[in-house]
Amino acid sequence: MPSEPRIPAEPTQEELSAFLDHELDSATQARVADHVAGCDECRARLDGLRETAHAIRALPMETPPRTFTVPEQRRRTWRWAPAGWIGSAAVALLLIAVGIQNLHLPAGSTATSGSSSTNRGGLANAPASRSEKGALAPLSAPSPFTQQFDAQSAGAATNAATVVDPSNSARRLVLDTDKTSYATNGRMLVTVQLIGSPSTSLNSGDQGLTLILVRNGQGVVLRPVGVESWNSTPIFGGWYDLASFPLSAPNAGDYRLEATWLIPDGSGRVLQTSVPVRIAG
Amino acid sequence: MFPSNNSNDDRDLVGRARRGDREAFTQLIVQYQVPLYNMALRMVGRPDDAADIAQDAFLRAWEKIRTLREAPFKSWLFQIAANLCYDHFRRGRRYGVMPDEETSNVIGLGVATPDPQERAEANERMRLVRDSIAALDHDMRIAIVLRDVNGMAYDEIAAVLGVPLGTVKSRIARARAQVQEQLQRHPDFFPTREDAHAE
Repeated sequence: MPSEPRIPAEPTQEELSAFLDHELDSATQARVADHVAGCDECRARLDGLRETAHAIRALPMETPPRTFTVPEQRRRTWRWAPAGWIGSAAVALLLIAVGIQNLHLPAGSTATSGSSSTNRGGLANAPASRSEKGALAPLSAPSPFTQQFDAQSAGAATNAATVVDPSNSARRLVLDTDKTSYATNGRMLVTVQLIGSPSTSLNSGDQGLTLILVRNGQGVVLRPVGVESWNSTPIFGGWYDLASFPLSAPNAGDYRLEATWLIPDGSGRVLQTSVPVRIAG
Repeated sequence: MFPSNNSNDDRDLVGRARRGDREAFTQLIVQYQVPLYNMALRMVGRPDDAADIAQDAFLRAWEKIRTLREAPFKSWLFQIAANLCYDHFRRGRRYGVMPDEETSNVIGLGVATPDPQERAEANERMRLVRDSIAALDHDMRIAIVLRDVNGMAYDEIAAVLGVPLGTVKSRIARARAQVQEQLQRHPDFFPTREDAHAE
């Protein structure tokens, strides 16, 4: 008498999971497939695992909050290098000195065009202070190399505005872009300094900072990315691809980039400034 | 979603990076920064911590790349990052809570957005999935992250973690079972087949 067709042995949880990933050898893959085809319970188990894997795979890939970079020269692994230590100490002292100098810049010396000098000081020096771990550049920089970032910003920061807190002249909101006019597919470099902020957080929400590119009452919110806290001055910035902005057509036109800072000291005071930005067709 | 396996391209770039070509290494950073950051993010939870780990992994890889012989760059890089994640936990850092905010750096104003309720439900589903991953122990968490977030094959995962293939298989299966169990506690968001039939 012919025997009845037998359902292959019930797969383990491990086998079902690996079956899903096509990570079983071909014989086991076939055995599990045969079993699942004839077993509602195991099919339900497999469906459950598949849905779980899909739920995890559906998590969006997040964009890193900053660009990663490495120093130009690899760190040398000296066993004994007192001269190197002395050099590092000298650099550290120099950085501290530069930092103190920046900290004591007279209030108001950075009004509008002058703001770029403070700005350069902050951004240009900040990565150097982190040379041990590698400099950090803003999100989506064309190249993560600090030198290039500095060179570009130093050469072209012409569009700047500063507002001073009337109740605290040491507190200023400084906003600048690298240019005033961009092609519709151009990249805009934005830097915001919160000088004298009561918080050193690089989270724009904690700082109460918003950035909006506005035209005719509509616009896009730019999420400011914390770049560096230098001398306790939180600095935000980044490169923004204008082509990716959901602007109303026609994209070309005159906009204003507005920075609003709700000072995080519970006072409810707001500093606001803006710079013009032209998007040329 | 998953990065392509450009091992030939990697070999060329790795060869140049070994000779001190930083531009070549930068191309490797560009290629791997998103998957590496996301691996770290799903492991430690807090974006700043994940970015620190990714930055540190790239820096260590740059400094040690001359010691890399035959092993694929990708597995080696992820191994460095995985070790940094374990260091992070050894230092007593807990899984951070990811800020509940938009992840894009540009948010449209006055443009069509999904129905607010749909968006809220999708956000809640994602939060539950993130929480269920966060509830796993570190060994299971990294196995399932490398598989289902980074799309790695089991043998690649075994190379990253330095464990036998059977261990990878077992950790992934157990991790999926635990995540499934957690998610099924929320039938409104993750209905089982029985729930669907009952309706």
